[in-house]
Amino acid sequence: MPQPLPEPQRHTLSNGANLVQIDLPQAPVVCLDLWCRAGSACERPDESGLAHFLEHMVFKGSQSLDAGEFDLKVEALGGNSNAATGFDDVHYHVLMPPEAAPQALELLLDLVLQPRLDGDDFAMERQVVLEELAQSEDQPEEVAFQELLRQACGSHAYGLPILGRREALEAHNPAAMAAFHQRHYRADRCCLALAGPLKGIDLESALENSPLSRLAKAEDLEPIPRLQLQPGSTRMELPRLEAARLLMAWQFPGAADQDAVMGGDLLTTLLAEGRRSRLVEQLRERLRLVESIDLDLNVLESGCLVLMEAVCEPEHLQAVEQQVRRVLLELIEQPPSEAELDRAKRLVGNGYRFSLEVAGSVAAMVGNSQLWGRHHNLQRPLDWLTHWNSERLSREVIPLLDPDRAFSLQAVPS
Amino acid sequence: MRTAGLMHQRTLPGGCPLWLIERPGAGILSAKLWMRGGSSADEPGQRGAAQLLAGVLSRGCGTLSGDDLADLVEGSGAGLRCEAAEDGTLLSLKCASSDAPSLVPLLLQMAQQPWLVPDQIDLERQLNLQTLQRQKEDPFQLAHDQLRQLLYGDGPYGHDPLGVEAELRAVTRDQLQQLAGHYGQSGAVLVLAGEIPPNVEELLLAGVTGAQWTCQPPPRRSGPAGHNKPAIALCNDETEQLVLMLGATTTPLGSPQALALRLLHCHLGVGMSSRLFVALREEHGLAYDVGVHFPARLGDAPFVFHLSSSSERAGEATTELLQEWQRLLDQPISEAELELALAKFRGQEALGRQTSSQIADRHALVLGHALPVDFAERSLAQAAQLSPEDLLAAARSLLATPCLSLCGPASALRQAEAVWQRHRLSQ
Repeated sequence: MPQPLPEPQRHTLSNGANLVQIDLPQAPVVCLDLWCRAGSACERPDESGLAHFLEHMVFKGSQSLDAGEFDLKVEALGGNSNAATGFDDVHYHVLMPPEAAPQALELLLDLVLQPRLDGDDFAMERQVVLEELAQSEDQPEEVAFQELLRQACGSHAYGLPILGRREALEAHNPAAMAAFHQRHYRADRCCLALAGPLKGIDLESALENSPLSRLAKAEDLEPIPRLQLQPGSTRMELPRLEAARLLMAWQFPGAADQDAVMGGDLLTTLLAEGRRSRLVEQLRERLRLVESIDLDLNVLESGCLVLMEAVCEPEHLQAVEQQVRRVLLELIEQPPSEAELDRAKRLVGNGYRFSLEVAGSVAAMVGNSQLWGRHHNLQRPLDWLTHWNSERLSREVIPLLDPDRAFSLQAVPS
Repeated sequence: MRTAGLMHQRTLPGGCPLWLIERPGAGILSAKLWMRGGSSADEPGQRGAAQLLAGVLSRGCGTLSGDDLADLVEGSGAGLRCEAAEDGTLLSLKCASSDAPSLVPLLLQMAQQPWLVPDQIDLERQLNLQTLQRQKEDPFQLAHDQLRQLLYGDGPYGHDPLGVEAELRAVTRDQLQQLAGHYGQSGAVLVLAGEIPPNVEELLLAGVTGAQWTCQPPPRRSGPAGHNKPAIALCNDETEQLVLMLGATTTPLGSPQALALRLLHCHLGVGMSSRLFVALREEHGLAYDVGVHFPARLGDAPFVFHLSSSSERAGEATTELLQEWQRLLDQPISEAELELALAKFRGQEALGRQTSSQIADRHALVLGHALPVDFAERSLAQAAQLSPEDLLAAARSLLATPCLSLCGPASALRQAEAVWQRHRLSQ
């Protein structure tokens, strides 16, 4: 039998900053993951792209670290680091051999919480961000997804590109970025997560007098509005597209409702993971209308988004849309069978257990949960999973996937 | 290095080596069956056959139809992948160890008794053709395919494992049948890592009927060679960026100079402190994505710099990229740079062994190349003995004549080509 899952240890510093640690004695590395509620949804209209640009600038050094010095030190110790900016939050993570973890912790907090934002570095890094934008614009699939979100999410931040608008990026300056950092990287908006072999790491004393313990609490911030997805449809022609796409987006409850998130995971798995899932079986295996069909639940605070992508020949687009509709309406009419649900539960449950093998994904899971005030342990999602049944899925989540509640976009080669 | 787990070696009846790596606790089992003969073994006129066959293996085998097999695997919440790469075909299974008794028997059944149902072959072929078509949306893929042509021409490494459209269309069931009959004959190895069931050999053989699977351990034999003559290829595409790939064909994993190249790879392309990242991204802001591609191969592996940069900066990007390559041939890296490269090499080895699946994968790769089982440890020890001069010598003997592949708009291609023509690497 599998061993019981390790328990997260939580602690809140006197200034409100959150810590969570999870000991994985068998793991070969420690992951340090610093989370902050400072995603692109926190940007004001003139701050387009600033959250992500700041994530780049952080690696350009701090009061005490030169540009590139952090990477050099971490990598010379056999570790590596990276960061990612989402709509809701940003996180900076380092993977380290256990013996070097305390040193990495000190470097990471200094780097992220006291960035230098030098003017010359800023101008250079802007070029890099603009290259990143150009690179994504050369992928027609990404352009199509961006357009889907833009039209589906209306004026909500989830409809805007995380990378930002080009003109806005060209207008940003270090002072505006420092103000953004100052506003959002605050004690009660940060969470530090550690996962791995933690024996010998005394986190609480390591954090005394650290930049994390010196942060002030946030002042009044505008709340981020709830997502209100607009159903509808559109069609676009895209240069350089080789196969047509049908993209669809639905709104689900926000991440705070983790039980519903689990229901959403079950539903997308039942519909589109594996050859025997309903959409794959019908559209790819039987009717052979698509090269692939994917359905993913994107977990977001202001409202989760379920996104579908079907890849097909342009002449099959209408048929694909009709069949997707048919499969979804059938599921609304006819609750899933026990066997179907059991299959989905096993896929979701194993996917979750497999992800616990890696310190990085454990740190990300507990760090993100803690950041948003969710204090469940690693076992809890598996319990939620058990409690879903066919009747409850039919009542609570399947109706949310009604095709008439979706925004759909057809993209065809121009 | 930390021990990956207790290891046992066995041999299955018929000759297939079986390695068991015990990692109790997580309740997970990962199995990898690696069989030599991937896309590089595709016959002329049948390019794409190895991948097509791999895709059909799970669409019916032994006593199970494709639907039965999918019901069994997905119903257990397991993952099963069958894929051909350049040098081999890999069957990967990952499951809860409690499901091992029903799933482990699938591995040999797929390798030995695939049904090859014509209708399922047609479906798989259609999907592969569509993927080949869709990949052309990606300018990196276009530049990569074009570089592969420059480096390997119509040789065994010259095509994407998915194949070549016209040939993939023409592959017959008989040809696939013949190919399946050869599985194991040029070498195979089976690695299981995680929580291993006690009667694992019995389970592996359960369900296989008829003759035992005749199979040998992978022999040490070097794989396909590449070209070594400077050349350029241009692909005109209406993109915002120009994609540049500069590469040469080098040497097999485990060959005398491969380790020196691996350290150069770490120096140039691993991490944000790497030479290319710092020189091209941090100092010039020329790119978001820049790096080095150096896969492990049985034959002359490609060693490739890649970069994408705005069209208007095409000339500057090409100049800087060529200069970085030339630098490798002109001067040794410093002792400090070598030290950093070694730290990265060690770090990568540790980070690449976090899951049972990664451990099984690394092990299968090493044994598939007929390298000693402690190859990773030996490499770490040998790497520490190399000097900057050793790395320079490896660069001079293996990287002297790179080829340049470009994909982007016409104006950028012109600028980049002009820079290449003037540079001594093109001579």
